[in-house]
Amino acid sequence: MIQKIIFSIKDTFKNLWGFRGRNLFSVFIICLSFLIIGIFLSLSNNFQHIAKQIQKNLAIVAFLEKDASDENINAIKIRLENSPYIEDVLYITSKQAKENFRKKFPELNDIVDNLELNPFPPSFEAVVKKNILSYDETIDLVNEIKSMPGIEDVQFNKDWLERIQAFSRLSKAVGFFLGGILVLASFFIISNVIKLNVLARKTEIEILRLTGATNLFIRTPFLIEGIILGLLGSLLSLLVLIIIIKTFPVYLGASLGTLTELISFRFLSFSQCLAVLISGCLIGLIGSYSSLARFLNI
Amino acid sequence: MIEVYNLWKQYQRPNWALSGISMKIKKGDFCFITGPSGSGKTTLLKILYREILPTQGQILVDKRNILKIPDHRIYVLRRLMGIVFQDFRLLFHKKVFDNVAIVLRVLGVPKKEIRRRVFYSLRMVNLHNKMWEYPKHLSYGEQQRVAIARAVVNDPKIILADEPTGNLDPELAFEIINLFKRVNKKGTTVLICTHDRELIRHFGEKIYFLYRGKILRKESL
Repeated sequence: MIQKIIFSIKDTFKNLWGFRGRNLFSVFIICLSFLIIGIFLSLSNNFQHIAKQIQKNLAIVAFLEKDASDENINAIKIRLENSPYIEDVLYITSKQAKENFRKKFPELNDIVDNLELNPFPPSFEAVVKKNILSYDETIDLVNEIKSMPGIEDVQFNKDWLERIQAFSRLSKAVGFFLGGILVLASFFIISNVIKLNVLARKTEIEILRLTGATNLFIRTPFLIEGIILGLLGSLLSLLVLIIIIKTFPVYLGASLGTLTELISFRFLSFSQCLAVLISGCLIGLIGSYSSLARFLNI
Repeated sequence: MIEVYNLWKQYQRPNWALSGISMKIKKGDFCFITGPSGSGKTTLLKILYREILPTQGQILVDKRNILKIPDHRIYVLRRLMGIVFQDFRLLFHKKVFDNVAIVLRVLGVPKKEIRRRVFYSLRMVNLHNKMWEYPKHLSYGEQQRVAIARAVVNDPKIILADEPTGNLDPELAFEIINLFKRVNKKGTTVLICTHDRELIRHFGEKIYFLYRGKILRKESL
């Protein structure tokens, strides 16, 4: 048995080397397919990351009217503090808001300094609890606060979270759609490459059949070949993805400006990498098997 | 060893490649099947090693009804046989040693044992000194001897040879049949299809004359 396995494996590698031209071509196509999926998946990972960051700092900002009475301000504060969905409430005066803006956007300091009046209204920043699963109740709270006297506007960055999550889903879907088409193409390419390999070894297969080789013995080298091609292609796609992720900020990052944070790649997680590799192997195996079923008449 | 009962084979209507052939070949027989081209010799051989199925009939090989063996178990039948073809069917990208060893590798024979048995087979056909050469560097006669070494390396019970001397000159043809004779002396049943009358006259013990798919006559010398 061990002898048979060794023979099959040796045979596989001899064939891989023997028909290296067409084998390399199929590895390239598999690599391209998984690279497309990988790129969009890593983009989606980045959106997910940003979404998580937003989720961590999810806050309701209640902007107050300039002439809001102490009574009203107090009522809003109490309402926010008493809510079970709010972790912490911070009162930010107009002065503090101006300072915060200056710190965040130092390039706009001149404009702010030249203003005669302070345009920043005082506000309450209420940090939403992290373990909240549904934001419906929080939205009710936002609406309630909006209707309270002394309130100019209420902002809740949940909208951003939802938008980013939608981007993430979209990027995943585009990746799987484009990648799926290419994966299908690579499936046919593997299938045809194995078919060519089968035809090139027709005499050998015939001799093996006539000397009493089992079907499994004849098929195994081709199946291993398919798996190796799939594995090499998907592995190569991950390597190229690493290179893209490393070089992307260097070449394009600067030109994207403020979008850099949004359109950047985050490498795939361990389970995603594993899924890519397993999918590669499976495509190789199925492509090879379907070809054998059609062209290896044993 | 081989029993054929009322064997019929039709590839295309209305012609019959084989028409009701029956024959019995005993263990250790050295047997020729002869007849003109298109008489059904190769068809009969192909049915014996289950490359094709007959339209009708029964065949027992080593007391086993080979038509009842499922496709995925055909290897069991083929391991009883060594098959030699007119065109040798050697792997030209592999060395002589590997061409013969392939049969034993299929069976999972250990490396040392493969070396020993391949050497023994090649010595029998007097090619042990060309073990590490490629078949393309050998003459036709030598190539056919490699094919015979491959057929016998596994000590099969039956040797089936389809026009094994078809591509060889008379002198080499005699040499090849002599080799089959040597294999036969060890107890292996040998069945050779040929239309070479000279060979049959010289070596024939049991001869079946085929004509248009029928056994015209049987001779035992």
